Formats: sequence, structure tokens, C-alpha cells
Amino acid sequence: MPAALTLLAAATGASACGTTTVPGGGAQVQAVGAESQYADVISQVGGRYVNVTSVMSNPNTDPHEFEASAKVASRLSEAQLVVQNGLGYDGFMDKLENAVSPRGQYVVVAAQLVRPRPGTFDPHLWYQPGTMALVARAVARDLARLQPAHRAYFAARADAFVSSLAPLHQAVSAFAAGHPGTPVAVTEPVADFLLQSAGARVLTPASLQTAVMNGTDPSPQDVAFQDRLLSRHLVRALLYNEQVTDAVTSHFLAVARAARIPVVAVYETMPQPGYNYQSWMLAEVHALSRAVASGISTTRL
Amino acid sequence: MSWLFAPGFFSNGPVQAALVTGTMVALVCAPVGVLAVLRRQSFAGHAFADITSTGGSAAVLLGISPVVGFAAAAATGAASMEALSARRERDRDLVTGAVLGAALGLSALFLYLSATTRNASGAAVTVLFGSIFSVSTSSWPWVVALGGLAVGLVALAYRPLLLSSVSPELAAARGVPVRLVGLAYLGALAAAVSLSALTVGAVLSTALVVGPAAATLGVVRRPGRAMAWAGLVAMLSVWGGIVLSYDSFNWPPRGQGWPVSFFVVALVLLAYGASRVASGHMHARGRASQQSEG
Repeated sequence: MPAALTLLAAATGASACGTTTVPGGGAQVQAVGAESQYADVISQVGGRYVNVTSVMSNPNTDPHEFEASAKVASRLSEAQLVVQNGLGYDGFMDKLENAVSPRGQYVVVAAQLVRPRPGTFDPHLWYQPGTMALVARAVARDLARLQPAHRAYFAARADAFVSSLAPLHQAVSAFAAGHPGTPVAVTEPVADFLLQSAGARVLTPASLQTAVMNGTDPSPQDVAFQDRLLSRHLVRALLYNEQVTDAVTSHFLAVARAARIPVVAVYETMPQPGYNYQSWMLAEVHALSRAVASGISTTRL
Repeated sequence: MSWLFAPGFFSNGPVQAALVTGTMVALVCAPVGVLAVLRRQSFAGHAFADITSTGGSAAVLLGISPVVGFAAAAATGAASMEALSARRERDRDLVTGAVLGAALGLSALFLYLSATTRNASGAAVTVLFGSIFSVSTSSWPWVVALGGLAVGLVALAYRPLLLSSVSPELAAARGVPVRLVGLAYLGALAAAVSLSALTVGAVLSTALVVGPAAATLGVVRRPGRAMAWAGLVAMLSVWGGIVLSYDSFNWPPRGQGWPVSFFVVALVLLAYGASRVASGHMHARGRASQQSEG
């Protein structure tokens, strides 16, 4: 069975199903994060009172392609709180929830909190630095509804989470100030929100990004355009999706390498182990700075 | 000429590579296709198409060049068809049906595993419907080798192939090793279908092998001449497909471009339709002249 389909318990020593009691009495809230980054936020806010699993935690699989397994369905049927991205990124969650979710399950959808511009083609909302703060507050609110006795605990942890995002905001502002309007190329829209926040300009056509993201053939015009961006040094870095490489992206990486344009690997789901959401995003910003300031590539976080 | 060739066509890297690949493939598919029609083996071509999809998806899973997967699967297919050829016809149909079903099932498995473990997200579309703009130039040695094999086998066994196509009994009586010649042809067909799969995808691969041949044989009788004309039809279809796909960048939905394989098979069908109309006229004229003489 591929690792993608196994559920990894994010909380240490958590049992996979049923209610678990914690020292001091009371049951743990059973929670599911559709992607490992959302599971991470749940566990940071919920602390010892939640038992979190993430549906997609293998960074080597492409979440767009994920097909839900029976195991995910059974975990979801016991979950009291679910956090997912929305915007069709994890559409399988909606289908499963319709089928198996118990009454009274709280579902936090990041897209409903962030409300991106209508028609945006980029679903990777967690790359927008403000998103996870909203998610953390929503999680704290729903956890408090499930366990009113621990309302203050959840609120305090959500506050702590939000303030722990400060270094990320600082790094993003520092990049925007130090390298205003940096032109960059990407293979997919994965980190576009972060790049926008950092004041960078993504010169890759949206149609090329969409084609690569959806695994359709990019048009030869777009490929030639991107080749020119790289070979004529019109961009300072190429950001590519480390989790999805195919003939087209390998081609762009080769062109970038030949033109000595630094490349930066970005991830769709949180690379594990060793990262939480904050340190992951910070690592991405640092990798971008290294690429733009000193021309150093990062192919692995 | 900008009405025909959208700006940047001739300087575009993917277009140039696709034109080279497409031309080689078209010139190999045509002669093999003419023989497939003459030998009434276009169904074998379809069978290869199903089997190559298994090879193509396995190649994605293993991370090797798709043309290698196509060729390996088609070779396996040729060998098993040869093994089956000794059986009774009814058995053969059943076994072929079961084996082809299993081949497509394996494709489904490989594509699923590719998507979930190897992140080859576009694999299904690429394998089944082709993606000539992303065929890398590193595949060219394989294209040349397979193309050389197909053309070489056809050239080597040309006379006995034609004879055994027209009349296997007569060929056998004249001492032609019919079974060996048939096996050589299956090898050529397998190679041609693999190349075609690389260009227009596994599902559509027989269209490029059989289509131009069928279009030509409607109006041209002599096999050698038919092969030349079929080559022209195949080449023009592939070139036209590449040009139209490039131009379609400006069609709705703007900025995406329609797939090459759609245009190629559409042009092949157009050629076939034209040939049917032309051959209808030729027959009508033939009857009319017979009547006026009589």
C-alpha cells in the first residue's frame, strides 16, 4: 500500500480511533486535517485535548491526484472537527463528508475564511501568510464549542500560534523591502501567494502554471516564453513544485541550470519530519532570499 | 503566411522537436499501415494500442522514457499474438479479449500508482492521448531505432509479405515461410504502433498507422505507390496537427491550445473521407464508361 494512503497520526502516541481519555479526565477531540499543514495547525491549537490525523501527509504525492481510501472515510466518520482547504483542492473531502460525516461535525474550510478573489486559479491558500491565523482562530472557536471547559486553553494556544507567525511576516516584509518587485518564474502556482506577499512578480503565464498543475500539455508558446524568461535572465529564480516533476518541469529545471538561474523547491504539503507550519514557510522564504540574494539553489528543504 | 503559422512557430523549440519526431513517425507508420490494411490486420493494431498503454503507464511509474515502455509492451504483445496464432479462431478471440482487458486494467493500476506515489499527475492524459510537444529529444535514438526496425523488417520481407497478404496458400506453395514472415510483420507493426503512441497517444495510435493507409488504398492500388502516398498523408496530417495546435493558442479557451492528437486524427479522418468520395467518383466513372462502351 502506498504511503499516501496510510494515515499518520500527527499527535504523538495517539490512538487511531474511538475516544481517548487524557490525564485529568475528559475525552480528546477527534480531528482531521485534509493536508498535513492544516493538521499541524489543529494540533498546535488543540494541544493535548485533540487527537489529529492528516489525510495527506506524504510530501511525495500530489494532493490534486489524491483518491480517498476506505481508511480515510472511516477516520472521517469519527471526526468531530475537520479542517480542509476548499477551492476544489481537496474536493474528495466534500464527497466523503457527504457520505460518512456524523451529525454535529465542525468543518473549517480555509477558502471560506480567506475569501480569495473570485476566479483565482491558485488554490494554495496556506502560502498566503494571513491564512493560517484565521484558520487557527476558527479551530479554537470550534474546539471551544466541542469542549467548553477548555475554551481559555484553546484561545491562549491560538494566540500563541498567531504570534509565532511574526518571524514569517517579518521575513516576508524584509524580502519585499530588500528585493522589491523581484521577477521570478514558477512551474506551478504553488507559492504564488507567498511571492505576491513578498512583492515578487511572477512572470510565468497563468495558462502555463494551470497546465502544469493540472497535468495537461502546456502550449508550445508558453513553453517558449518560459524558456526565454530563464535563458535571457529575465527572472532571478525559478520556483518549482518539488512534489510534482514531469517532463515539462524537468525541462525548465534543465534550462534554468544551463542559464545559472537558481531554483527553489516548494512543497504542497508540509515536509515531515522536522517542520511545523511556521518553520516550513520561513524555510521557503529563506530559500527564496538565498536564491535571489546569493544565487544559491534549494532543491530540498 | 501569418494566417497559417501563428507568430513564433518556426523558432519555437517544442514545435521544432515535434516536427522532427512527427515526420519520422509518419514515414514509418505509412508503409506498415498499408500492409496492415492489405493483410487485414488493423485489429492487431488496435490490440497493440491497448497493450502499449500498459507499457506507457509502466514507464511513467518506473520513470523511464515512455517510448521504451511502449516498445517493450508492444513486443510482448507481438510475441503473445504469435503464440496465440496457432489456436482456433474462436479461442483466439476470447483470449485476445481477456488479455486486452487485463492490459487496460494494468494501465489503470500503473496510472493510479503513478499519480499517488510518483506525482506523475498528467500521466493518464499523456499516455493515452499523447503529448508530442513534451517528447524530449533524448527519445530520438529510440525513435530512429524502432523506425529503422519497422522499415527494415518491411523492406527485408517485402515480396513474401505482399504475396502472403494476397494469398497465404499460394505463398506457402511457393515455399514462403508464411509464419516467419507474419512474425516479422507483427514486429514491424508493434514498432510502428509504439512510435505512433508516442506521437498521438496509446489510444489513438492505430489512427496514424491505419488511417493514412486506408485513405490511400481507396484510390491507389499498387502497394509501393500506396505506401508513398500514405507517407505523404501521414506526414501532412502530423504537420497540420502541429500547426493547428500551435495556432489554437489564440482560440477559446485563449492561451491553452488544443491537443495535437485531436488535430492529427481529425486530419486523417478528413483524408479518409476525401478518399472515399474520390473512389466513389472513380467507380461511377468506371461504370459510366463501361456502359457507354457496351
